[in-house]
Amino acid sequence: MSLVHLSNVCSHLQNASKARLGLTSVPSSNMILRLTLALQTSGFLSTVARGGLTPPPFDALSTYVPEPVTQENISTRRLWLGLKYWNNEPVLSQMSMVSKPTKRIWMDVEGLGRIVRGREAGFVKGLTKPGECMFISTDRGILEARECVERKVGGMLLCRVL
Amino acid sequence: MGLITSQKQSRELFKPYDQETKEALAKRYTPEQIRAIEAGEQAIDPQDLNERGVIRTDWGSLPYLDDFSVIRPSIDRKPRSEAPVDPNMRLMTEKEMVDEMRKYDMKIMKEHPTAPDFNFEDEASRSTVRPNRIDMFRAIDETPEFIGSNGPVVSESALAPGVRMDFEAAMDDSESSKEKDAEEDERDPDGVFDRLRKQTGLTLDQIRSYQVKVLVRHRVVNQTRLGKIQSQYCLAIAGNGNGRLGLGEAKGQEPEDTQVNARIQAIKNMQPIPRYEERTIFGEVEGKVSAAEVTLMARPPGFGLRCQHLIFEMARAAGIQDLSAKVPRSRNKMNTVKATYQALMKQRIPDEVARGMGKKLVDVRKVYYGGRV
Repeated sequence: MSLVHLSNVCSHLQNASKARLGLTSVPSSNMILRLTLALQTSGFLSTVARGGLTPPPFDALSTYVPEPVTQENISTRRLWLGLKYWNNEPVLSQMSMVSKPTKRIWMDVEGLGRIVRGREAGFVKGLTKPGECMFISTDRGILEARECVERKVGGMLLCRVL
Repeated sequence: MGLITSQKQSRELFKPYDQETKEALAKRYTPEQIRAIEAGEQAIDPQDLNERGVIRTDWGSLPYLDDFSVIRPSIDRKPRSEAPVDPNMRLMTEKEMVDEMRKYDMKIMKEHPTAPDFNFEDEASRSTVRPNRIDMFRAIDETPEFIGSNGPVVSESALAPGVRMDFEAAMDDSESSKEKDAEEDERDPDGVFDRLRKQTGLTLDQIRSYQVKVLVRHRVVNQTRLGKIQSQYCLAIAGNGNGRLGLGEAKGQEPEDTQVNARIQAIKNMQPIPRYEERTIFGEVEGKVSAAEVTLMARPPGFGLRCQHLIFEMARAAGIQDLSAKVPRSRNKMNTVKATYQALMKQRIPDEVARGMGKKLVDVRKVYYGGRV
Protein backbone atom coordinates (compact mmCIF):
# COMPACT_ATOMS: atom_id res chain seq x y z
CA MET A 1 0.00 0.00 0.00
CA SER A 2 2.97 2.26 -0.11
CA LEU A 3 2.28 5.38 -2.14
CA VAL A 4 5.99 5.96 -2.62
CA HIS A 5 6.13 3.33 -5.36
CA LEU A 6 3.06 4.83 -6.97
CA SER A 7 4.70 8.26 -6.98
CA ASN A 8 7.71 6.74 -8.67
CA VAL A 9 5.45 5.16 -11.29
CA CYS A 10 3.83 8.56 -11.95
CA SER A 11 7.17 10.26 -12.49
CA HIS A 12 8.47 7.37 -14.56
CA LEU A 13 5.47 7.42 -16.93
CA GLN A 14 5.84 11.18 -17.40
CA ASN A 15 9.52 10.79 -18.17
CA ALA A 16 8.90 7.89 -20.55
CA SER A 17 6.28 9.94 -22.44
CA LYS A 18 8.63 12.90 -22.73
CA ALA A 19 11.31 10.56 -24.08
CA ARG A 20 8.76 9.20 -26.61
CA LEU A 21 9.22 5.58 -25.52
CA GLY A 22 6.83 3.04 -26.98
CA LEU A 23 7.29 0.52 -24.21
CA THR A 24 8.35 0.87 -20.62
CA SER A 25 8.26 -1.15 -17.43
CA VAL A 26 7.25 -0.39 -13.86
CA PRO A 27 7.55 -2.48 -10.71
CA SER A 28 4.80 -5.04 -10.30
CA SER A 29 2.48 -4.85 -7.33
CA ASN A 30 -1.24 -5.42 -6.97
CA MET A 31 -1.97 -1.70 -6.62
CA ILE A 32 0.17 -0.65 -9.56
CA LEU A 33 -1.31 -3.43 -11.68
CA ARG A 34 -4.84 -2.26 -10.90
CA LEU A 35 -3.97 1.36 -11.56
CA THR A 36 -2.33 0.55 -14.90
CA LEU A 37 -5.36 -1.52 -15.89
CA ALA A 38 -7.58 1.46 -15.01
CA LEU A 39 -5.30 3.67 -17.12
CA GLN A 40 -5.65 1.21 -19.99
CA THR A 41 -9.45 1.19 -19.73
CA SER A 42 -9.40 4.97 -19.81
CA GLY A 43 -7.30 4.83 -22.97
CA PHE A 44 -4.01 6.24 -21.68
CA LEU A 45 -2.05 3.01 -22.23
CA SER A 46 -2.18 0.66 -25.19
CA THR A 47 -1.05 -2.52 -23.43
CA VAL A 48 -0.41 -3.82 -19.92
CA ALA A 49 1.48 -7.11 -19.69
CA ARG A 50 3.15 -8.94 -16.83
CA GLY A 51 6.68 -10.04 -17.44
CA GLY A 52 10.16 -10.33 -16.05
CA LEU A 53 13.28 -8.35 -16.74
CA THR A 54 12.78 -8.73 -20.50
CA PRO A 55 9.59 -7.60 -22.21
CA PRO A 56 6.97 -10.21 -23.16
CA PRO A 57 6.56 -11.01 -26.90
CA PHE A 58 4.27 -8.20 -28.10
CA ASP A 59 3.54 -9.84 -31.46
CA ALA A 60 1.91 -12.80 -29.70
CA LEU A 61 0.46 -11.06 -26.69
CA SER A 62 -2.97 -12.67 -27.02
CA THR A 63 -1.58 -16.17 -26.52
CA TYR A 64 1.17 -15.16 -24.10
CA VAL A 65 0.94 -16.74 -20.63
CA PRO A 66 3.10 -14.97 -18.06
CA GLU A 67 5.49 -17.00 -15.99
CA PRO A 68 3.90 -17.90 -12.65
CA VAL A 69 5.11 -15.84 -9.72
CA THR A 70 7.24 -17.85 -7.28
CA GLN A 71 9.32 -17.05 -4.24
CA GLU A 72 12.44 -17.10 -6.42
CA ASN A 73 11.35 -14.78 -9.21
CA ILE A 74 9.04 -12.36 -7.36
CA SER A 75 11.68 -9.65 -7.06
CA THR A 76 12.25 -9.57 -10.81
CA ARG A 77 8.56 -9.27 -11.87
CA ARG A 78 7.77 -6.10 -13.85
CA LEU A 79 4.72 -4.68 -15.58
CA TRP A 80 5.35 -3.81 -19.22
CA LEU A 81 3.28 -0.87 -20.42
CA GLY A 82 2.69 0.29 -24.00
CA LEU A 83 2.50 4.09 -24.24
CA LYS A 84 0.27 5.91 -26.72
CA TYR A 85 0.93 8.88 -28.95
CA TRP A 86 -1.51 10.84 -31.06
CA ASN A 87 -0.91 13.78 -33.40
CA ASN A 88 2.75 13.80 -32.40
CA GLU A 89 1.77 14.32 -28.76
CA PRO A 90 1.82 11.77 -25.95
CA VAL A 91 -1.68 10.74 -24.85
CA LEU A 92 -0.46 10.58 -21.27
CA SER A 93 1.49 13.78 -20.75
CA GLN A 94 1.09 14.57 -17.06
CA MET A 95 0.60 12.26 -14.11
CA SER A 96 0.86 13.45 -10.54
CA MET A 97 -0.14 12.19 -7.10
CA VAL A 98 -3.05 13.73 -5.21
CA SER A 99 -2.57 11.77 -2.01
CA LYS A 100 0.97 11.89 -0.72
CA PRO A 101 2.70 9.16 1.30
CA THR A 102 2.53 11.46 4.33
CA LYS A 103 -0.94 12.83 3.66
CA ARG A 104 -3.60 10.65 2.19
CA ILE A 105 -6.82 12.23 0.99
CA TRP A 106 -10.16 10.47 1.08
CA MET A 107 -13.30 11.86 -0.46
CA ASP A 108 -17.00 10.98 -0.52
CA VAL A 109 -19.25 10.96 -3.60
CA GLU A 110 -20.42 14.51 -2.98
CA GLY A 111 -16.88 15.88 -3.14
CA LEU A 112 -16.03 13.69 -6.13
CA GLY A 113 -19.12 15.03 -7.89
CA ARG A 114 -17.84 18.57 -7.41
CA ILE A 115 -14.38 17.62 -8.69
CA VAL A 116 -15.79 15.88 -11.75
CA ARG A 117 -17.82 19.00 -12.56
CA GLY A 118 -14.63 21.05 -12.45
CA ARG A 119 -15.11 22.57 -8.99
CA GLU A 120 -12.70 22.54 -6.12
CA ALA A 121 -13.45 20.25 -3.17
CA GLY A 122 -11.42 19.98 0.02
CA PHE A 123 -8.30 21.66 -1.37
CA VAL A 124 -8.32 19.32 -4.39
CA LYS A 125 -8.55 21.12 -7.73
CA GLY A 126 -11.30 20.06 -10.11
CA LEU A 127 -10.88 18.29 -13.44
CA THR A 128 -10.98 21.40 -15.62
CA LYS A 129 -8.83 20.44 -18.58
CA PRO A 130 -10.19 18.41 -21.49
CA GLY A 131 -9.30 14.75 -21.04
CA GLU A 132 -8.16 15.12 -17.43
CA CYS A 133 -8.84 12.06 -15.26
CA MET A 134 -8.47 11.20 -11.59
CA PHE A 135 -8.06 7.71 -10.23
CA ILE A 136 -9.59 6.70 -6.91
CA SER A 137 -8.84 3.66 -4.81
CA THR A 138 -12.20 2.31 -3.64
CA ASP A 139 -13.44 -0.92 -2.13
CA ARG A 140 -14.48 -1.91 -5.66
CA GLY A 141 -10.98 -1.53 -7.01
CA ILE A 142 -9.27 1.44 -8.62
CA LEU A 143 -11.81 3.48 -10.56
CA GLU A 144 -11.86 6.67 -12.55
CA ALA A 145 -13.49 9.60 -10.69
CA ARG A 146 -16.44 9.84 -13.09
CA GLU A 147 -17.11 6.14 -12.70
CA CYS A 148 -16.99 6.53 -8.91
CA VAL A 149 -19.66 9.21 -9.12
CA GLU A 150 -21.73 6.99 -11.39
CA ARG A 151 -21.50 4.06 -8.97
CA LYS A 152 -21.81 6.29 -5.90
CA VAL A 153 -18.61 5.17 -4.17
CA GLY A 154 -15.97 7.32 -2.50
CA GLY A 155 -12.39 6.45 -1.70
CA MET A 156 -8.81 7.55 -1.54
CA LEU A 157 -7.66 9.91 -4.30
CA LEU A 158 -4.57 8.42 -5.92
CA CYS A 159 -3.43 10.47 -8.89
CA ARG A 160 -4.58 12.81 -11.62
CA VAL A 161 -3.68 12.10 -15.23
CA LEU A 162 -3.69 14.39 -18.24
CA MET B 1 -25.54 -10.96 -44.06
CA GLY B 2 -24.00 -7.82 -45.30
CA LEU B 3 -24.76 -4.22 -45.78
CA ILE B 4 -28.22 -3.87 -47.20
CA THR B 5 -28.60 -0.69 -49.17
CA SER B 6 -32.04 0.76 -49.48
CA GLN B 7 -30.84 3.40 -51.89
CA LYS B 8 -33.18 4.22 -54.70
CA GLN B 9 -32.15 3.79 -58.27
CA SER B 10 -30.36 6.87 -59.52
CA ARG B 11 -32.71 7.25 -62.48
CA GLU B 12 -35.66 7.40 -60.08
CA LEU B 13 -34.02 10.07 -57.95
CA PHE B 14 -33.08 12.24 -60.90
CA LYS B 15 -35.91 11.81 -63.36
CA PRO B 16 -35.63 13.25 -66.85
CA TYR B 17 -37.88 16.24 -67.61
CA ASP B 18 -41.39 15.24 -68.67
CA GLN B 19 -43.44 17.13 -71.20
CA GLU B 20 -45.15 19.31 -68.58
CA THR B 21 -41.92 20.51 -66.99
CA LYS B 22 -40.43 21.16 -70.40
CA GLU B 23 -43.33 23.44 -71.26
CA ALA B 24 -42.93 25.25 -67.94
CA LEU B 25 -39.22 25.69 -68.64
CA ALA B 26 -39.94 26.98 -72.14
CA LYS B 27 -41.89 29.85 -70.60
CA ARG B 28 -38.92 30.95 -68.55
CA TYR B 29 -35.91 30.21 -70.75
CA THR B 30 -35.00 30.99 -74.32
CA PRO B 31 -34.71 28.09 -76.79
CA GLU B 32 -30.89 28.37 -76.66
CA GLN B 33 -30.94 28.06 -72.89
CA ILE B 34 -33.32 25.10 -73.13
CA ARG B 35 -30.94 23.41 -75.53
CA ALA B 36 -28.05 24.03 -73.12
CA ILE B 37 -30.08 22.54 -70.27
CA GLU B 38 -30.88 19.48 -72.36
CA ALA B 39 -27.25 19.07 -73.34
CA GLY B 40 -26.32 19.22 -69.67
CA GLU B 41 -28.93 16.60 -68.84
CA GLN B 42 -27.48 14.39 -71.57
CA ALA B 43 -23.90 14.86 -70.42
CA ILE B 44 -24.32 14.04 -66.75
CA ASP B 45 -24.90 10.44 -65.77
CA PRO B 46 -27.52 10.21 -62.97
CA GLN B 47 -25.46 7.45 -61.38
CA ASP B 48 -22.54 9.86 -61.12
CA LEU B 49 -24.75 12.62 -59.79
CA ASN B 50 -26.06 10.30 -57.10
CA GLU B 51 -22.63 9.14 -55.98
CA ARG B 52 -20.50 12.21 -56.45
CA GLY B 53 -22.84 15.16 -56.35
CA VAL B 54 -23.35 14.99 -52.60
CA ILE B 55 -21.62 16.97 -49.91
CA ARG B 56 -20.32 14.31 -47.59
CA THR B 57 -21.05 14.58 -43.89
CA ASP B 58 -19.70 11.24 -42.70
CA TRP B 59 -16.71 10.79 -40.41
CA GLY B 60 -14.15 10.27 -43.12
CA SER B 61 -14.93 13.54 -44.85
CA LEU B 62 -12.86 16.69 -44.58
CA PRO B 63 -14.19 19.63 -42.61
CA TYR B 64 -13.80 21.94 -45.62
CA LEU B 65 -14.67 21.99 -49.29
CA ASP B 66 -11.87 21.51 -51.76
CA ASP B 67 -11.47 20.71 -55.40
CA PHE B 68 -8.83 18.02 -55.43
CA SER B 69 -8.44 18.07 -59.20
CA VAL B 70 -6.44 21.31 -59.00
CA ILE B 71 -3.05 21.61 -57.33
CA ARG B 72 -2.77 24.90 -55.53
CA PRO B 73 0.68 26.38 -54.94
CA SER B 74 1.95 26.64 -51.36
CA ILE B 75 -1.07 24.73 -49.99
CA ASP B 76 -0.85 21.35 -51.67
CA ARG B 77 2.20 19.17 -51.52
CA LYS B 78 4.10 18.19 -54.60
CA PRO B 79 2.71 14.95 -56.04
CA ARG B 80 5.28 12.17 -55.87
CA SER B 81 5.79 9.89 -58.80
CA GLU B 82 4.71 6.34 -58.01
CA ALA B 83 7.13 4.79 -60.48
CA PRO B 84 9.85 2.46 -59.17
CA VAL B 85 13.23 4.06 -58.53
CA ASP B 86 15.91 3.26 -61.08
CA PRO B 87 18.74 1.49 -59.19
CA ASN B 88 21.32 2.61 -61.77
CA MET B 89 20.48 6.28 -61.44
CA ARG B 90 23.45 8.53 -60.70
CA LEU B 91 24.22 12.21 -60.63
CA MET B 92 25.62 13.54 -63.91
CA THR B 93 29.24 14.50 -64.10
CA GLU B 94 30.04 18.15 -64.57
CA LYS B 95 30.76 17.64 -68.25
CA GLU B 96 27.49 15.85 -68.91
CA MET B 97 25.59 18.60 -67.13
CA VAL B 98 27.24 21.30 -69.18
CA ASP B 99 26.46 19.31 -72.33
CA GLU B 100 22.79 19.15 -71.39
CA MET B 101 22.73 22.89 -70.73
CA ARG B 102 24.37 23.56 -74.06
CA LYS B 103 21.85 21.32 -75.83
CA TYR B 104 18.99 23.24 -74.20
CA ASP B 105 20.46 26.60 -75.17
CA MET B 106 21.10 25.48 -78.74
CA LYS B 107 17.48 24.38 -79.03
CA ILE B 108 16.30 27.82 -77.92
CA MET B 109 18.72 29.55 -80.28
CA LYS B 110 17.42 27.42 -83.16
CA GLU B 111 13.83 28.28 -82.30
CA HIS B 112 14.57 32.00 -81.93
CA PRO B 113 17.28 32.89 -84.44
CA THR B 114 18.95 36.29 -84.10
CA ALA B 115 17.42 38.92 -86.32
CA PRO B 116 19.56 39.92 -89.37
CA ASP B 117 19.47 43.61 -88.33
CA PHE B 118 20.84 42.84 -84.87
CA ASN B 119 22.80 45.72 -83.40
CA PHE B 120 24.81 45.12 -80.22
CA GLU B 121 24.88 48.84 -79.39
CA ASP B 122 21.09 49.15 -79.40
CA GLU B 123 19.37 48.38 -76.05
CA ALA B 124 16.05 47.33 -77.60
CA SER B 125 17.69 45.05 -80.11
CA ARG B 126 19.86 43.47 -77.41
CA SER B 127 16.85 42.59 -75.25
CA THR B 128 15.36 40.44 -78.04
CA VAL B 129 18.27 38.01 -78.05
CA ARG B 130 17.47 34.50 -76.89
CA PRO B 131 18.49 32.71 -74.68
CA ASN B 132 17.89 35.50 -72.20
CA ARG B 133 17.99 35.48 -68.39
CA ILE B 134 14.66 33.69 -68.02
CA ASP B 135 15.84 30.97 -70.41
CA MET B 136 18.94 30.50 -68.26
CA PHE B 137 16.81 29.94 -65.17
CA ARG B 138 14.49 27.66 -67.12
CA ALA B 139 17.48 25.65 -68.25
CA ILE B 140 18.53 25.14 -64.63
CA ASP B 141 15.05 23.94 -63.76
CA GLU B 142 14.36 21.83 -66.81
CA THR B 143 17.60 20.16 -67.83
CA PRO B 144 18.14 16.69 -66.38
CA GLU B 145 20.62 16.20 -63.55
CA PHE B 146 20.56 12.43 -63.25
CA ILE B 147 21.43 9.61 -65.61
CA GLY B 148 19.46 6.38 -65.40
CA SER B 149 19.70 3.13 -67.34
CA ASN B 150 17.79 4.71 -70.26
CA GLY B 151 19.79 7.92 -70.50
CA PRO B 152 19.20 11.26 -68.78
CA VAL B 153 16.24 11.43 -66.37
CA VAL B 154 14.27 14.68 -66.37
CA SER B 155 14.11 15.74 -62.74
CA GLU B 156 11.02 17.24 -61.15
CA SER B 157 10.69 20.98 -61.27
CA ALA B 158 12.10 22.75 -58.24
CA LEU B 159 9.21 25.18 -58.31
CA ALA B 160 6.21 24.74 -56.05
CA PRO B 161 3.45 22.74 -57.76
CA GLY B 162 0.82 24.78 -59.53
CA VAL B 163 2.96 27.89 -59.91
CA ARG B 164 2.27 29.39 -63.30
CA MET B 165 5.29 29.43 -65.55
CA ASP B 166 4.65 32.78 -67.28
CA PHE B 167 7.60 34.61 -65.84
CA GLU B 168 7.50 37.17 -68.64
CA ALA B 169 4.25 38.53 -67.24
CA ALA B 170 5.79 38.79 -63.78
CA MET B 171 8.75 40.70 -65.20
CA ASP B 172 6.46 42.92 -67.22
CA ASP B 173 7.54 46.53 -66.62
CA SER B 174 5.40 48.08 -69.30
CA GLU B 175 3.39 51.28 -68.76
CA SER B 176 0.12 49.53 -67.91
CA SER B 177 1.58 47.50 -65.06
CA LYS B 178 3.35 50.54 -63.66
CA GLU B 179 0.10 52.45 -63.64
CA LYS B 180 -1.58 49.64 -61.79
CA ASP B 181 1.07 49.75 -59.08
CA ALA B 182 0.87 53.47 -58.71
CA GLU B 183 -2.88 53.33 -58.20
CA GLU B 184 -3.45 54.60 -54.69
CA ASP B 185 -6.36 54.69 -52.33
CA GLU B 186 -7.29 57.96 -50.62
CA ARG B 187 -7.79 56.03 -47.37
CA ASP B 188 -4.12 55.04 -47.41
CA PRO B 189 -2.40 57.98 -49.12
CA ASP B 190 1.06 57.23 -47.70
CA GLY B 191 0.96 53.69 -49.03
CA VAL B 192 1.61 52.23 -45.58
CA PHE B 193 -0.21 49.02 -46.37
CA ASP B 194 0.93 48.72 -50.01
CA ARG B 195 3.59 46.14 -49.27
CA LEU B 196 1.28 44.17 -46.97
CA ARG B 197 -1.43 44.17 -49.62
CA LYS B 198 0.98 42.87 -52.21
CA GLN B 199 2.43 40.20 -49.93
CA THR B 200 -0.81 38.86 -48.52
CA GLY B 201 -3.32 39.66 -51.25
CA LEU B 202 -5.59 41.36 -48.71
CA THR B 203 -7.70 44.31 -49.78
CA LEU B 204 -7.60 47.61 -47.95
CA ASP B 205 -11.16 47.01 -46.78
CA GLN B 206 -10.14 43.74 -45.16
CA ILE B 207 -7.11 45.31 -43.52
CA ARG B 208 -9.20 48.16 -42.17
CA SER B 209 -11.81 45.75 -40.83
CA TYR B 210 -9.29 44.04 -38.55
CA GLN B 211 -9.08 45.10 -34.95
CA VAL B 212 -5.48 46.17 -34.55
CA LYS B 213 -4.12 47.68 -31.38
CA VAL B 214 -0.73 48.47 -29.94
CA LEU B 215 -0.79 47.00 -26.45
CA VAL B 216 2.77 47.45 -25.23
CA ARG B 217 5.08 50.35 -25.97
CA HIS B 218 8.28 51.18 -24.21
CA ARG B 219 11.74 52.54 -24.67
CA VAL B 220 14.68 50.18 -25.02
CA VAL B 221 18.34 51.15 -24.89
CA ASN B 222 21.41 49.67 -26.47
CA GLN B 223 24.55 50.64 -24.58
CA THR B 224 27.52 51.01 -26.91
CA ARG B 225 30.94 52.50 -26.31
CA LEU B 226 29.73 55.64 -28.04
CA GLY B 227 26.81 56.04 -25.66
CA LYS B 228 23.23 54.90 -25.27
CA ILE B 229 21.18 54.30 -28.39
CA GLN B 230 17.50 54.59 -27.68
CA SER B 231 14.73 53.00 -29.65
CA GLN B 232 11.11 52.16 -29.17
CA TYR B 233 9.63 48.69 -28.81
CA CYS B 234 6.03 48.01 -29.81
CA LEU B 235 3.85 44.95 -29.43
CA ALA B 236 0.61 44.99 -31.39
CA ILE B 237 -2.25 42.52 -31.70
CA ALA B 238 -4.52 42.03 -34.67
CA GLY B 239 -7.71 40.02 -34.85
CA ASN B 240 -10.64 39.69 -37.19
CA GLY B 241 -13.13 39.31 -34.33
CA ASN B 242 -13.97 35.88 -35.65
CA GLY B 243 -11.36 33.44 -34.41
CA ARG B 244 -8.10 34.78 -35.81
CA LEU B 245 -5.44 36.51 -33.76
CA GLY B 246 -1.88 37.64 -34.39
CA LEU B 247 0.96 39.23 -32.47
CA GLY B 248 3.39 41.67 -34.03
CA GLU B 249 6.59 43.05 -32.59
CA ALA B 250 8.70 45.90 -33.91
CA LYS B 251 11.59 48.01 -32.73
CA GLY B 252 12.87 51.20 -34.23
CA GLN B 253 13.96 54.81 -33.82
CA GLU B 254 10.81 56.47 -35.10
CA PRO B 255 7.78 55.90 -32.85
CA GLU B 256 5.28 56.28 -35.70
CA ASP B 257 7.03 53.86 -38.04
CA THR B 258 7.59 51.35 -35.28
CA GLN B 259 3.91 51.25 -34.42
CA VAL B 260 2.95 50.82 -38.06
CA ASN B 261 5.49 48.02 -38.44
CA ALA B 262 4.17 46.27 -35.36
CA ARG B 263 0.61 46.51 -36.68
CA ILE B 264 1.64 45.11 -40.05
CA GLN B 265 3.53 42.26 -38.41
CA ALA B 266 0.49 41.49 -36.27
CA ILE B 267 -1.76 41.30 -39.33
CA LYS B 268 0.76 39.07 -41.08
CA ASN B 269 1.03 36.74 -38.09
CA MET B 270 -2.71 36.19 -37.71
CA GLN B 271 -3.47 32.55 -36.90
CA PRO B 272 -6.75 30.75 -36.27
CA ILE B 273 -7.36 29.98 -32.60
CA PRO B 274 -9.71 27.21 -31.50
CA ARG B 275 -12.95 28.42 -29.91
CA TYR B 276 -15.72 26.43 -28.28
CA GLU B 277 -19.09 27.39 -29.76
CA GLU B 278 -17.33 30.46 -31.17
CA ARG B 279 -17.61 32.17 -27.79
CA THR B 280 -15.14 30.69 -25.31
CA ILE B 281 -12.11 28.43 -25.10
CA PHE B 282 -11.80 24.69 -24.49
CA GLY B 283 -11.43 24.03 -20.75
CA GLU B 284 -8.55 25.52 -18.84
CA VAL B 285 -5.22 26.39 -20.46
CA GLU B 286 -1.97 27.70 -19.11
CA GLY B 287 0.73 29.69 -20.83
CA LYS B 288 4.09 30.69 -19.47
CA VAL B 289 6.65 33.10 -20.87
CA SER B 290 9.53 33.89 -18.56
CA ALA B 291 8.03 34.57 -15.12
CA ALA B 292 4.63 35.60 -16.49
CA GLU B 293 2.11 32.81 -16.11
CA VAL B 294 -1.40 33.04 -17.48
CA THR B 295 -4.31 30.72 -16.81
CA LEU B 296 -7.31 31.08 -19.07
CA MET B 297 -10.58 29.44 -18.11
CA ALA B 298 -13.66 28.67 -20.19
CA ARG B 299 -16.89 30.16 -18.90
CA PRO B 300 -20.65 29.71 -19.59
CA PRO B 301 -22.55 31.87 -22.08
CA GLY B 302 -23.19 35.43 -20.94
CA PHE B 303 -20.32 35.44 -18.46
CA GLY B 304 -18.41 38.11 -20.34
CA LEU B 305 -14.72 38.84 -20.41
CA ARG B 306 -13.77 39.09 -16.76
CA CYS B 307 -10.03 39.42 -17.11
CA GLN B 308 -7.33 42.06 -17.04
CA HIS B 309 -7.12 44.67 -19.78
CA LEU B 310 -4.44 43.04 -21.96
CA ILE B 311 -6.17 39.67 -22.05
CA PHE B 312 -9.50 41.45 -22.53
CA GLU B 313 -8.22 43.21 -25.65
CA MET B 314 -6.80 39.98 -27.05
CA ALA B 315 -9.99 38.05 -26.38
CA ARG B 316 -12.07 40.78 -27.98
CA ALA B 317 -9.89 40.88 -31.07
CA ALA B 318 -10.06 37.10 -31.37
CA GLY B 319 -13.86 37.02 -30.96
CA ILE B 320 -14.04 35.32 -27.57
CA GLN B 321 -16.97 36.48 -25.46
CA ASP B 322 -16.80 34.39 -22.28
CA LEU B 323 -13.50 34.06 -20.50
CA SER B 324 -11.87 34.48 -17.16
CA ALA B 325 -8.16 34.63 -16.52
CA LYS B 326 -5.61 34.62 -13.78
CA VAL B 327 -2.14 36.11 -13.92
CA PRO B 328 -0.71 34.81 -10.67
CA ARG B 329 2.96 35.68 -10.96
CA SER B 330 4.76 38.37 -12.94
CA ARG B 331 2.51 40.91 -14.62
CA ASN B 332 5.02 42.16 -17.15
CA LYS B 333 2.86 43.46 -20.00
CA MET B 334 4.85 42.07 -22.89
CA ASN B 335 5.21 38.61 -21.37
CA THR B 336 1.56 38.52 -20.30
CA VAL B 337 0.46 39.15 -23.88
CA LYS B 338 2.86 36.52 -25.21
CA ALA B 339 1.81 33.97 -22.57
CA THR B 340 -1.86 34.58 -23.36
CA TYR B 341 -1.21 34.00 -27.04
CA GLN B 342 0.71 30.83 -26.23
CA ALA B 343 -2.14 29.61 -24.02
CA LEU B 344 -4.77 30.32 -26.69
CA MET B 345 -2.74 28.45 -29.29
CA LYS B 346 -2.07 25.34 -27.22
CA GLN B 347 -5.64 24.47 -26.27
CA ARG B 348 -6.40 20.77 -26.18
CA ILE B 349 -9.33 20.06 -28.45
CA PRO B 350 -11.71 17.54 -26.80
CA ASP B 351 -12.32 15.72 -30.10
CA GLU B 352 -8.60 15.21 -30.60
CA VAL B 353 -8.10 14.14 -26.99
CA ALA B 354 -10.92 11.63 -27.35
CA ARG B 355 -9.40 10.25 -30.54
CA GLY B 356 -6.08 9.85 -28.76
CA MET B 357 -7.71 8.00 -25.90
CA GLY B 358 -9.77 5.91 -28.30
CA LYS B 359 -13.10 7.14 -26.98
CA LYS B 360 -16.27 8.42 -28.53
CA LEU B 361 -17.22 11.91 -27.53
CA VAL B 362 -20.60 13.58 -27.91
CA ASP B 363 -21.28 17.16 -26.95
CA VAL B 364 -24.69 17.15 -25.28
CA ARG B 365 -24.80 20.85 -24.54
CA LYS B 366 -26.93 21.60 -27.56
CA VAL B 367 -29.14 18.55 -27.07
CA TYR B 368 -31.49 19.69 -24.33
CA TYR B 369 -34.06 22.49 -24.36
CA GLY B 370 -34.28 22.36 -28.13
CA GLY B 371 -30.64 23.40 -28.51
CA ARG B 372 -31.38 26.92 -27.29
CA VAL B 373 -28.99 26.95 -24.31
